Amino acid sequence: MSYYPILKAPGASGWTTLCNFPPNNWEVRHRGDQWVNVTWLSEGRWLTESLGTLAVGGMRTVTDQELAGRVPADALALLSLTRAPPPAQSDTLPKLDTPLTTTPAWRATLGLATDAAQTSYQGELDPFPPQGTLLTFGPFLQFGVGLENHLILLNVENSAVSRSSELEIFDAGGLGLKGKFKVRNNAANLIPLDGLDLGPEDLPLFICRGMAAIPLYFSQTSDGAFLSLEHTHPPGSLVVHGKRWEAQKLLKNRWFAKVTP
Amino acid sequence: MTFMQKVERFRRALWTWRQPLTRRPSAPAVPISDLFVWRNSSEWTTNFELIDIPGLFSDGERGLSKHVTLLLFDQRGRQFLKKKMELLPGRRQTINLAAFLSETNGEMGTFAVFHSSSPPELEPIGSFLAERGYVSYRYRDAPLRAYVHGNLDAIAQGPDGELQLLGGRSFLSREYSLQHELQPGVVYELGMVNPTPTAQRCICKSISVHSGKIIGVQVVNLVPGGIQLVPIRADKSEPVRLVIQSHLVMARPLVFRIQNLKLDVFHG
Repeated sequence: MSYYPILKAPGASGWTTLCNFPPNNWEVRHRGDQWVNVTWLSEGRWLTESLGTLAVGGMRTVTDQELAGRVPADALALLSLTRAPPPAQSDTLPKLDTPLTTTPAWRATLGLATDAAQTSYQGELDPFPPQGTLLTFGPFLQFGVGLENHLILLNVENSAVSRSSELEIFDAGGLGLKGKFKVRNNAANLIPLDGLDLGPEDLPLFICRGMAAIPLYFSQTSDGAFLSLEHTHPPGSLVVHGKRWEAQKLLKNRWFAKVTP
Repeated sequence: MTFMQKVERFRRALWTWRQPLTRRPSAPAVPISDLFVWRNSSEWTTNFELIDIPGLFSDGERGLSKHVTLLLFDQRGRQFLKKKMELLPGRRQTINLAAFLSETNGEMGTFAVFHSSSPPELEPIGSFLAERGYVSYRYRDAPLRAYVHGNLDAIAQGPDGELQLLGGRSFLSREYSLQHELQPGVVYELGMVNPTPTAQRCICKSISVHSGKIIGVQVVNLVPGGIQLVPIRADKSEPVRLVIQSHLVMARPLVFRIQNLKLDVFHG
């Protein structure tokens, strides 16, 4: 089973609702109470604490406020559901003992909230291989007085060893470099997207040659009254059937060669 | 393989054999699109982010034409508009669908976006170009639109413009459980689309999160290519979860969540 992060964004608090029931009735046979756990990185080790159990069929929302004091503010909190509590400390991200589903994946509701609004998506986070890369096109920037746009780049890897890479942002039409940002593994990297000279007709291209990640786009009004959150597709999702990974490879090779940092 | 493994393999085959989520189009190299949901009224507008997807694969030096065909369908899946739109390479065009809609078309329906060409690189690897892009909704006069991505490879357009619904059907009735807590006092509307070529009956069950008891049932009948917006209101005192029973391989709805006149939209 996957991990479920608690998101972070400026002016908003993160929350995640876990579900102890599968998304369908035919892929998972075993059902029972499960442990709710939180895992985070601390001084080169993964630490895990259990937050209690969740009855079969139940749902539980965990907020960043609930974890304050337990998980450091700068660490990415990763929730999980397991049949037995994972080890309290480990050098690699604990492998979870719970069943997988594929149609769709067993997900949680991942959200951000202010006093006035909330936004969410159905998601999960599985560890990326360290040799992974990122290529995605993100047409989610919104423009107007008082509107703010951020990219939340989510990465988790099995290794507890910290490393960093570089996120490059281009205009896919003119191929101009609009920004470079250092990003870390095992983190929710927050990248401001305003002030990069990207206009309403520009198609932002996001490239990370040294790290894979889930790119989330968070937009809000400056008073927090209105929010939007969604992720873009990996290149393989631009096709269906056949060897989708070949299409993904083709697109990555093309664009990685086409734009230079 | 042990006896129990064989039993498990057989059990799984009952759910998967000849029941793909998305069937292959009958013609090669044809474009595929989601059946995106549009809403249009005094309270709702719908936008689509139009991108030159074939151009992401190559620059057009091999004569790839650069347009899409936008098809708009009403609630019962009947096409009422066909519009050719030019693509801008490497650019983003935010298309406000209100420009193509009027009151006579109703307040909801679906639309498809078919690219006029498929990158030649895809045919050897057995893949089809899929438009499963990004839709945003504005509710009332909100200064911000709420985005959601497509994820339903629902319909293909053949060489002569013929349409083929690609959604798979299940031999067995199956359940899809929305992994989201429906909270008291919040308005939810489920956009349910039928991507299969046959009529579908969906039974939406609201289940108490606390007691596990079914506290509401709605039956939704969907014509091929049709859409229904299903209002779900959680009980005033307790949260509920939703189970959809149908012969769709994956009956994941589009969820509109409105609280204090603020919109959140996401895919199940």
